[in-house]
Amino acid sequence: MNFDNSQLDIEAKYERDFRRTILIVDDEPVNLRLLGNILGEEYDVAYAQTGKEAISEIKKQKDLLSLVLLDLYMPDGNGYAVLDEMRTNEELRDIPVIVLTSDKSAEVESLHRGAVDFLSKPYDNPEVIKARIRRSIELSIGRSIIGATGVDKLTGLMTKEYFFRYSQEYDKFHPDQEVDAIVVNVSKFHLINELYGRNFGDRVIKVIAEGVRNASRACGGVACRTNADCFYMYIEHQENYDFLMRTLSNLLAEMLEVQDIRLRIGVYPDIYHSVNLEQRFDRALQACNLLSRNAGQDTLSVYDNRMHEREIYEAKLLGDIEKALLENQFKIVFQPKYDIHEDQPELCSAEVLVRWKHPEYGLVRPDFFIPLFEENGRIKELDRFVWQEAARQVRIWHDMYGVKVPVSVNVSRVDIFDPDLLEFLKKVISDNNLDPADLHLEITETAYTDSVNTMIEVVKSLRDAGFKVEMDDFGKGYSSLNMLTSLPIDALKLDMAFIKDIAENNKEMSMVEFILEIARFLGVPVIAEGVENAEQYLLLKKAGCDIIQGYYFSKPVSSSEFGHLIERNLGCFK
Amino acid sequence: MTIDTLRQFGANVDEGLERCMGMEDFYLEMVELGLSDERFNTLGDVLDSGNFDEAFETVHALKGVIGNLALAPLYNTICEITEHLRAKESVDYRALYDKLIEQRKQILEME
Repeated sequence: MNFDNSQLDIEAKYERDFRRTILIVDDEPVNLRLLGNILGEEYDVAYAQTGKEAISEIKKQKDLLSLVLLDLYMPDGNGYAVLDEMRTNEELRDIPVIVLTSDKSAEVESLHRGAVDFLSKPYDNPEVIKARIRRSIELSIGRSIIGATGVDKLTGLMTKEYFFRYSQEYDKFHPDQEVDAIVVNVSKFHLINELYGRNFGDRVIKVIAEGVRNASRACGGVACRTNADCFYMYIEHQENYDFLMRTLSNLLAEMLEVQDIRLRIGVYPDIYHSVNLEQRFDRALQACNLLSRNAGQDTLSVYDNRMHEREIYEAKLLGDIEKALLENQFKIVFQPKYDIHEDQPELCSAEVLVRWKHPEYGLVRPDFFIPLFEENGRIKELDRFVWQEAARQVRIWHDMYGVKVPVSVNVSRVDIFDPDLLEFLKKVISDNNLDPADLHLEITETAYTDSVNTMIEVVKSLRDAGFKVEMDDFGKGYSSLNMLTSLPIDALKLDMAFIKDIAENNKEMSMVEFILEIARFLGVPVIAEGVENAEQYLLLKKAGCDIIQGYYFSKPVSSSEFGHLIERNLGCFK
Repeated sequence: MTIDTLRQFGANVDEGLERCMGMEDFYLEMVELGLSDERFNTLGDVLDSGNFDEAFETVHALKGVIGNLALAPLYNTICEITEHLRAKESVDYRALYDKLIEQRKQILEME
């Protein structure tokens, strides 16, 4: 099979400049130089004179080597050992090997051990050698690329696997080409499906895919779709990305009127080929993920040193979770909640928050490590730790002061999908001899809008078991009014952003009043968080808000401080 | 040593040159490099010691190089020694070795 670029969605612009790399392994300098001379015009040639040197060279250049020419008999152990090691190493297995031998009987044996062809000594006519080498490389590329299933059904782009295979081959063929790894993400894409239906969502994806494909081709590269709303591009390095941005932005703007749906583009320019292909895309993804999902316009970010430092910091934090749990580096604190129905605000509950005092970095910001844990599937352990600690504390206060003060804890999106969730929570409650109603569960609104049916089902089962469920960050997500009516909840928590700018009769205040109306319609109380001053408090009280938390009344306090607070306000609970 | 004298010696110069992509200087350089191989000297001692396995490895390695250089008479002698050793036959290896060294000397002493 021929390696046909046009068939594979790419046009190599400067083909004559691109060279593959071949490693020649032979202990005889004369043989090395003869072959090097034959192949040097067409290929970049690397040399090794022993089996050991060969393996080390192959490992070093694994992403670059198109073929190994291997002499079978060398003084330090024969070429078979090299063949065997390559076949057992997943990363080296796909590099084709042609053995060099003057021994007819060795030919069959070497084919059995994974060689793709053999060249006999004395060497054939150079043209024959070159033709056989060329063919072996083509066959190997064909096999590896065909092995990866090719096309994404919806968009006609490459699949992720195929794309990576292809890009690896591209690198081998264009070792000196400066490249860009690019990730294009449609933020809040689930909204399109929700607001307009899946068919329209698919149409949007197809249009963006077409844009991504055209932009990639124009930049001498390829593209794939990696999941619902994410595309990867591997293109020649660009001086700037205006063209890409303009092409994709225009397409999206033509399709959609919804201002919230935006493109986020992350770029990793790999000028020096210093990291491997996967790492390049990891970094592009990281640059992309640092862009806000809530930006009012399409945004693009290029990976830089700052991000590299952050990557290392994140990896360190993720690696330290278990130790931190074991060594009690996580502490829970309590953000008091006040009922504001009466003239004087009355302490009624607290939201449990978590702090991490890292031995090396000191206090790590929760708005940094919590999303990090969420993204990396590590939040479950931390959530469970917090629930257990919170329940233990409620028990202690009950024993000390004779009152039960309910607290609310956060339940992350991934917890919802954990089949074990209800059982675990029940156990936490029974271990501490509490009622389920003593533990309020805060579930963020965006979790509801992501997968409505599962969410409603799980929340129902939690409420049936007696837990109180509060919808957190209300207003941040996109609950439809229709969904709200079918939603089983016990309280709405207003997103902080709504409170921030409220003033008498302004737009923000009208919004808050509107939400309070909805809550009244649903028959659930409203909790406002982030209340920082008297003006906000009075406005919210006047508008009929039920419960308030925030710095105006108290910052988050330690468990012993909250205990004192309970002691001073015992009247509120009896 | 020149292309012509190699041809007179009986080397298959056209074949050798083809492997060197027609580059005469490169071919002559490779011939000199191949003939200066230390194993031509050590082969005699190994044969005398009767260590046929080691002798086989040595002569087999020389065969690969000299074959590629297409130095026919020398190559034929090497092949003959190789095959006797492969079959572990008791022949007069000293005579064959002397012949080999003589042929090598002829090439090296060519004007």
